[in-house]
Amino acid sequence: MRRSVLRAAAVLTGAVGLVLVLSLGALLGIVFATGRQVDAWGVPLDQLSRGLTATEGGYTFTEGAYLSAHDLWTILIGEDGQVLWQFEKPLDVPEQYGLSDVAAFSRWYLADYPVFTRIREDGLLVVGSAKESLWRLNFYLPLRIVRQLPLWIGGSLLLILGCVLAFSALLLRRWFRAEQRQRDAARSDWINGISHDIRTPLSIVMGYAVQLEEDDALPLARRRQAGIIRSQSEAIRTLVNDLNLTMRLDYEMQPLRRTEVMPGALLRQAAADLYNRGLEERYRLDIDLPDPPGPPLKGDVSLLSRALDNLLNNCVRHNPDGCAITLGARWRGSWCTLWVESRGTGAPARIPSPERPPADGGPPHGTGLKLVAQIARSHGGTARFSGGEGCFLCELRLPCAPEQRQDSRSRRLP
Amino acid sequence: MRPYTILVVDDEPTLCDMVRGILEREGYQVQTAHSCSEALQRCALTPPDGILLDVMLPDGDGFALLRELRREVDVPVLFLSARDEDEARLRGLGLGADDYITKPFLPQELLLRLAAVLRRVYGADRSGEVARLGPVEIHWGSGTVVRPDGEVTLTAKEYALLKKLWANRGNIVTVDALCAALWDGVLVGYENTLMVHVRRLREKIEEDPSHPRWLLTVRGLGYRLVREERR
Repeated sequence: MRRSVLRAAAVLTGAVGLVLVLSLGALLGIVFATGRQVDAWGVPLDQLSRGLTATEGGYTFTEGAYLSAHDLWTILIGEDGQVLWQFEKPLDVPEQYGLSDVAAFSRWYLADYPVFTRIREDGLLVVGSAKESLWRLNFYLPLRIVRQLPLWIGGSLLLILGCVLAFSALLLRRWFRAEQRQRDAARSDWINGISHDIRTPLSIVMGYAVQLEEDDALPLARRRQAGIIRSQSEAIRTLVNDLNLTMRLDYEMQPLRRTEVMPGALLRQAAADLYNRGLEERYRLDIDLPDPPGPPLKGDVSLLSRALDNLLNNCVRHNPDGCAITLGARWRGSWCTLWVESRGTGAPARIPSPERPPADGGPPHGTGLKLVAQIARSHGGTARFSGGEGCFLCELRLPCAPEQRQDSRSRRLP
Repeated sequence: MRPYTILVVDDEPTLCDMVRGILEREGYQVQTAHSCSEALQRCALTPPDGILLDVMLPDGDGFALLRELRREVDVPVLFLSARDEDEARLRGLGLGADDYITKPFLPQELLLRLAAVLRRVYGADRSGEVARLGPVEIHWGSGTVVRPDGEVTLTAKEYALLKKLWANRGNIVTVDALCAALWDGVLVGYENTLMVHVRRLREKIEEDPSHPRWLLTVRGLGYRLVREERR
């Protein structure tokens, strides 16, 4: 998990960094390009102007080699609009210019040649390049917008950053989910495999234990031992079934078959099942239901029965000297609370914590109660466990079925 | 009456031997097979009365074998499987299996469910079953109760009530389960009507209806029919 988080952090950081670098580079490029017109194609107008010097006989020019190498030409226009000097001026470039001509080519082109100008004391220096060598884009912005430019640039950067982050988050989410699915599948396969491999040998152990337990030819002590083997095998069977169901509920692999069911019927059946499994007389079972009963629940009968079974078995297991067990239901608004309470006569009942592992780091206990909590959650309800000296209480708070036209035949028997 | 012959199909020989011991103690005759091909051969030679079938077999799976077996024999089949997923159970039952028992199982559970399936398939005619509650005989075929002082006929509701209790004899059957058996669904508020039917049934099967010996009330839960040997 830590490796995955580090990897995710590295990817995100890299993506953000890349965006920032690219954006910064683009920004610098724009600023640099528009900030220095003279460097539009790398020609230093200052240098060229300094290279042209007026003499008694005319002009001397020291940057001719540079201009030739870059396929450039230049003219000097005097105050009267006449070309005073030129270097490699194309033939279609005029010799005379008026004010409007100067205004035009200062912004755009001179006879389709892209040109740039530099004012001198003796006139206007015009440097041009070949036709279609440069695209001049003169634009203007209101000052208000120019002042807001940092905001616009910052906003655009943030937008780009947001898009990159969202995309990265989506990718990471997909990646995490794929990893999690893989882990879940591996865990599920392991549990299914172990569960499956345990079942057949356990059948054999259980079957022979029962036969030995019921064999009148064996001494009583041996039959009792066989009985212990049988009951412990049943405990392992319950544990395997609970582990399987816990896993299926954890990974939402257990579809709920919801039907309307009367809480009273659920409780009565759970009590009857416990008695029918041979509950000893030192345990007393009572049912506490209001009259008339409240509305039905909408739930998976087999899961709810399983939850009640686990609770009752927990009460019996933790009170080996016997106890009074009460099952009840009460309604409040659109919720029904099923409760199971035991009041022991022997040692205080241990209250396993289904949500917290034991502090001593030992093997987890309370699998049965954890399953009870999961079943309540899967029904949109809650399970609360409490207890004190010799007593245990579990309350399952579950939503009632939504009110419908009364059709009592649709309610399913547990 | 010829005892039922049950074919046990499982690739684990020790399990087959264990199940053989359980069934033979109850009077069944048992054949075993450890693979699909062996099971098909056995069925072809001596068709059984019922089959206990594992799902995971070395040369195929129990579901495919069931489809094959249905072409050869039409006998009740119970799956005996380590796969407890709902999908496997539904698939087995959907293919026509009569029951699906998940391993591990208690021998008593296997026996009760096998007996229930055989009873359902072959009916009372095959076994000539007459139930007995002390001095009283219950003739399922005619729906009558033969008492020392004469014969009485059960009403449809009384018959259904007694049948449900008999199928679960020795165990508590809740009022909700009995209402569902009598009125095809759980109806709230029919407990009093049920009590009336129970009282009338007691008048037909009990020596002293006010102090019932066989059909007992379990306070707050339901009723229980005390076990009696059947003929």
